[in-house]
Amino acid sequence: MTEKGISRSFIKPRDKYGWLFISLALILLGVLLFYPIVYSLYLSTMSSKGIVQKFVGFGNYVKLFQDSMFILALKNTLTFFLIQVPIMLFLALILATILNDKTIKYRGLFRTAFFLPAVTSLIAYTILFKMMFSLDGFINGVLLNVHIINSPIPWLLDPFWAKVTLIIGLTWRWTGYNMIFYLSALQNIPEEIYEAAKIDGANKVKQFFYITIPLLKPLILFTAIMSTIGTLQLFDEPMNLSQGGVTSATIGPGNSLLTLSVYVYNLCFKYMPNFGYAATVSYAIVLIVALLSIIQFKLMGDKK
Amino acid sequence: MLKRKFIILVVVCLFLVVSSITYAESTEKSGEITIWSWDPNFNIPIMQEAAERYAKDNPKVTFEITELAKADVEQKLHINLASGVTAGLPDIVLIEDYNAQKYLQSYPGAFADLTDKIKFSDFANYKVGLMTLDGKVYGVPFDSGVSGLFYRTDYLEKAGYKSEDLNNITWDKFIEIGKKVKEKTGKAMIGFGLDDGGLMRIMMQSAGKWYFDDKGNVNLSNNDALKEAFKTYKAIVDSGIIKKTSGWSEWVAAFNNGDTASVVTGVWIIGSVKADKASSGKWKVATTPRLNIAGAVNASNLGGSSWYVLENSKNRDLAIDFLNQIYAGDIDFYQKILMDRGAVGTYLPAQSGAAYSKEDEFFSGQKVYTDFSGWIKAIPTINYGIYTYEADAAIFTVMPDVYSGKISIEDALEKAEEQLKDQINR
Repeated sequence: MTEKGISRSFIKPRDKYGWLFISLALILLGVLLFYPIVYSLYLSTMSSKGIVQKFVGFGNYVKLFQDSMFILALKNTLTFFLIQVPIMLFLALILATILNDKTIKYRGLFRTAFFLPAVTSLIAYTILFKMMFSLDGFINGVLLNVHIINSPIPWLLDPFWAKVTLIIGLTWRWTGYNMIFYLSALQNIPEEIYEAAKIDGANKVKQFFYITIPLLKPLILFTAIMSTIGTLQLFDEPMNLSQGGVTSATIGPGNSLLTLSVYVYNLCFKYMPNFGYAATVSYAIVLIVALLSIIQFKLMGDKK
Repeated sequence: MLKRKFIILVVVCLFLVVSSITYAESTEKSGEITIWSWDPNFNIPIMQEAAERYAKDNPKVTFEITELAKADVEQKLHINLASGVTAGLPDIVLIEDYNAQKYLQSYPGAFADLTDKIKFSDFANYKVGLMTLDGKVYGVPFDSGVSGLFYRTDYLEKAGYKSEDLNNITWDKFIEIGKKVKEKTGKAMIGFGLDDGGLMRIMMQSAGKWYFDDKGNVNLSNNDALKEAFKTYKAIVDSGIIKKTSGWSEWVAAFNNGDTASVVTGVWIIGSVKADKASSGKWKVATTPRLNIAGAVNASNLGGSSWYVLENSKNRDLAIDFLNQIYAGDIDFYQKILMDRGAVGTYLPAQSGAAYSKEDEFFSGQKVYTDFSGWIKAIPTINYGIYTYEADAAIFTVMPDVYSGKISIEDALEKAEEQLKDQINR
């Protein structure tokens, strides 16, 4: 028998069984993933007030550019992305490098301590931050007591400081998570490279920039894209930092914490329910994520 | 053989039909009424009280009251109504008054028309108005958000003011008093969040205005009441009589800890005010301050909600009967919920009951509920429209720049109006 003969007689029935075995997963994927994706694309051509719908074609997409609330949400989201993600990833890199050093005592303890925020519930930590950062809260108390500031910082009452608070919160929550990725990758970098660099006279800082970062590039790209997606979908933190009040009108003072995902939620459940327009904004998020990911690939990827 | 089977079948069927008819005639009402509501300290126990009262007369009726967060009730309702699947919906649902028209207009046919089922002339006017669409009334009015000025008598006495000085005042006078209080006691006059639209709504409704005109058109830049409200907000912040808070718990803590001398809000706050037992006897309630423009009155409203019956629910008629019997007929029920929960209903016949005319020790012996029920009748009726939350967001997006003086009030209103129009024109 030739090899061709074998494959012909064996693979066909195997194919059948293969399809059978994955059919359940495929059907579930189709119903729960692909159908909603296609349906929301159809939905994004509708303008709706609850169940009162009318077809508008590309009207919703045109409207995106005129909707100043959407533009504000986009601006806020991009601000968080441009400021928070680099700070967090850089911090994570430095922490990972330090904690990879075998001469440091209690490394396990420190690693756990830095990673621990990543296992806390998003809502729990946000509420905690809200308490700590209130006008007469813990943070202001400490800063006042050590005389770093003279009057309390309006953390959650001023548009600028509200953004700062959110960025601090996000960094606290996610730095350890990214650090773990870098830490695992660092252990795959052979010790000899550093040794050679040392002999050549490269100090720790040089080693970090010329060895660690280039060798971690694929992982940096991965974490950057994951963080991009995470930031673009930012929801729990702004929602909970701003929630409450008798009738809290905006997401953070002056809508400073309004992100795209929160806007989608508001369009569905807080405002006059316009599921069509909400689907359009969701598609905008997808497009932006795709665009940013492509840019990152181009900037960091190998030029092969 | 076949014929005999057929005859048996017919006989069985007939028997079933006849028996079911007689069954229906001979028994009392039965079924399970399902209800969605929020607030385990207010709406839930009140509904439980109502359910117990109804079940006493109708032992075969059971209740399933589901407690959810307010946002979750709204979210679930939107999802179920939008999907068109009615199986997951309850018989009765609580809806906030500001949202009433939004639901009624977004989901036509979803709520039961109660126009001929309930005697609406027994309820406060403004409350019936907000649940009316095309001449039909769709809800059963529940609690009132009639507003008042709660104040600490000890602080105000120190500043040299008596009770008479606080009744029927304007906001300008309120700020003047506040400065004096700050000077003499060091306490803030009022506490609220800078992004909180509550006071804005109270101010506007006291002048009979809203973010929209009667026809539902956006009315921000040429709205005298709103302009005056903006000025007042800024003046309160600039004069330094405010304790800035963020969120509900900080706001409540501000007056419970004695950090502020007054609270201006809906009557439903009474429970929270009373939570600070140490300050019993040091509180009183005055009429809501009014805006300094023609037509403004010293009465307003903040919040409040009502019960709605789903048109396609399983026990629709039973649910309507229940609401009619308790919420539109049981005067004693309203006395009980007032005493237990401080819930001021909008069922007018109940307001001559004993509990309403009771003197309250906590409020220095003032008959607070008699006062509140008097003020209810003076609340201007307005059409909240369907975009209240959009308007709130548009306004409080420009507010930080107004506080800091970066833009004038006129420009801010202009900007907010433009933004709001952008948003709702879709």
